Amino acid sequence: MTDVGFVVAAYTVILGGIGLYAARLVRRLRTARQASLQIRRAADAALSAPDERR
Amino acid sequence: MKTRVLGFAGLAAVTAAAIYGLFVVPADLNQGDAQRIMYVHVASAWLAYASFGVTALAGIGYLWKRDLRFDAVALAGAEVGVMFTAFAIWGGMMWGRPVWGVYWQWEDPRLTTTALLLALYVGYLLLRRLTDDPARRASRAAVVGLIAAVDIPIVHFSVIWWRGLHQGPTIGDPGKILNPSAPLLFVAALMAMVAAFTLVWVYLMIRRYQLARVDWQIEEHGRLGRITAARRAGMAPAATTAGNEEPAS
Amino acid sequence: MRELRRAAAVALAIARKDATAELRGRQAAGSTLFFAALVLLLFGFALGPDSRRLTDAAPGLLWLAIVFGGLLTVSRLHQLEADDGALEQLALYPVDRRAVYAGKALAGAAAMLVLGGLLLPVVAILYAIPIGAAWLPLLAAVLLGAIGFAAVGTAYAGLTVRLRAREVMLPLLMLPIVAPLLLAAVKATGAALTGDPLGELGSWLQLLAAFDVIMLVVGAGTYGFLLEE
Repeated sequence: MTDVGFVVAAYTVILGGIGLYAARLVRRLRTARQASLQIRRAADAALSAPDERR
Repeated sequence: MKTRVLGFAGLAAVTAAAIYGLFVVPADLNQGDAQRIMYVHVASAWLAYASFGVTALAGIGYLWKRDLRFDAVALAGAEVGVMFTAFAIWGGMMWGRPVWGVYWQWEDPRLTTTALLLALYVGYLLLRRLTDDPARRASRAAVVGLIAAVDIPIVHFSVIWWRGLHQGPTIGDPGKILNPSAPLLFVAALMAMVAAFTLVWVYLMIRRYQLARVDWQIEEHGRLGRITAARRAGMAPAATTAGNEEPAS
Repeated sequence: MRELRRAAAVALAIARKDATAELRGRQAAGSTLFFAALVLLLFGFALGPDSRRLTDAAPGLLWLAIVFGGLLTVSRLHQLEADDGALEQLALYPVDRRAVYAGKALAGAAAMLVLGGLLLPVVAILYAIPIGAAWLPLLAAVLLGAIGFAAVGTAYAGLTVRLRAREVMLPLLMLPIVAPLLLAAVKATGAALTGDPLGELGSWLQLLAAFDVIMLVVGAGTYGFLLEE
């Protein structure tokens, strides 16, 4: 590998890796927030429902 | 919302610094183009050590205040830190091969210390994964984070002594990397990359902290059995469509 | 002052309890010693048969054997209580956690001192090392190494005693921490055996001592948080 090859290898892995991690983080955060919201809504709905007569 | 702006600012900064370091700044006389690797390598290493400093301090904060938000900060620091550490090592290896002729050298205290840093914090993350109770997890992690942080300077000095007593090769002497006579442009490129990386780091830390808090809330939901309680009250949880609202970021 | 005396008494009591348990359960300690000696033997097969190469590598091999034996030792000292369910009782004692730590670390250091000391003649024979006049600095290195290892090992053993995958997690957590201890101990041992031509023995022993002090302080400070789980 020429020197340039090593430079490319270094930059692509490092900068690309940071980008991938950031993207993955954002996706994980979105999924988790949705899940948390769902759980809370489901629980709240169920807790407030007993007073109604179905 | 502000965090998202920060994220894009970081992206722009890194792009600018990379262009500067790769295409604008001239190559080094001795090391050639390989010198450009130093910009991302040093920046990664700098943030790696900063991250673990955060983890250690946040751990102490948890032991002191028993507030799990400290633990979330510690976790963010460790995960982000492991990433930057791995990149620092990778950068060091990519630099070492053209400049030293070898991918690895035992006498470079920074390379060996950083490798140990990686080992220490992979262990930290594994430990966390093996502990289910949040309080116990936070305590154990805090102790390990603290001991690891204390160990790092010891490692660094011992490797320096280790090298000092051995007649090191003068060709590719690691000490010659950033000598004071390096042109101003190199220093500028380095500073630019460090600043850009720091911006990105803050963004990543915030996001990872937020994720840690949400994950903990989900854990807590399960633990408190809110759904179980609701079921016991006689009503099945209502089917919900996927939430369309997202909390403002 | 009275607090100090009480803490010291507690520490000594715990150390004595552990030492007695070690002596009574001699098989376990003896097995560890035998295992370490076996490791030294195996190194011979791995790196031999060139005696000169083994002699050069001897300090490193000795300390690797001590480290492996040490991992077993510190783990065992905490298993004593864990198996009996005594850990919970220990955590309930109204005593200074640091005293408990000091006692267990003392027992650990003593056990490792014995281990290291007994491995010296094994190394001398297997790798043709003339110990002779170097026995004093050698023992100093073993003592300082034992203290440092026990300082970290007691804390981490306490941490992992009820952890999943304990057998792999204790070494995994400990080995990076003791890397500088290993480095310094090997250098000190090598210097002692060759008559210290570069005058570095003192420096390495000081580094070991510094490691010991730092780790003892940190270990004592954090052990309490590990016990009260």
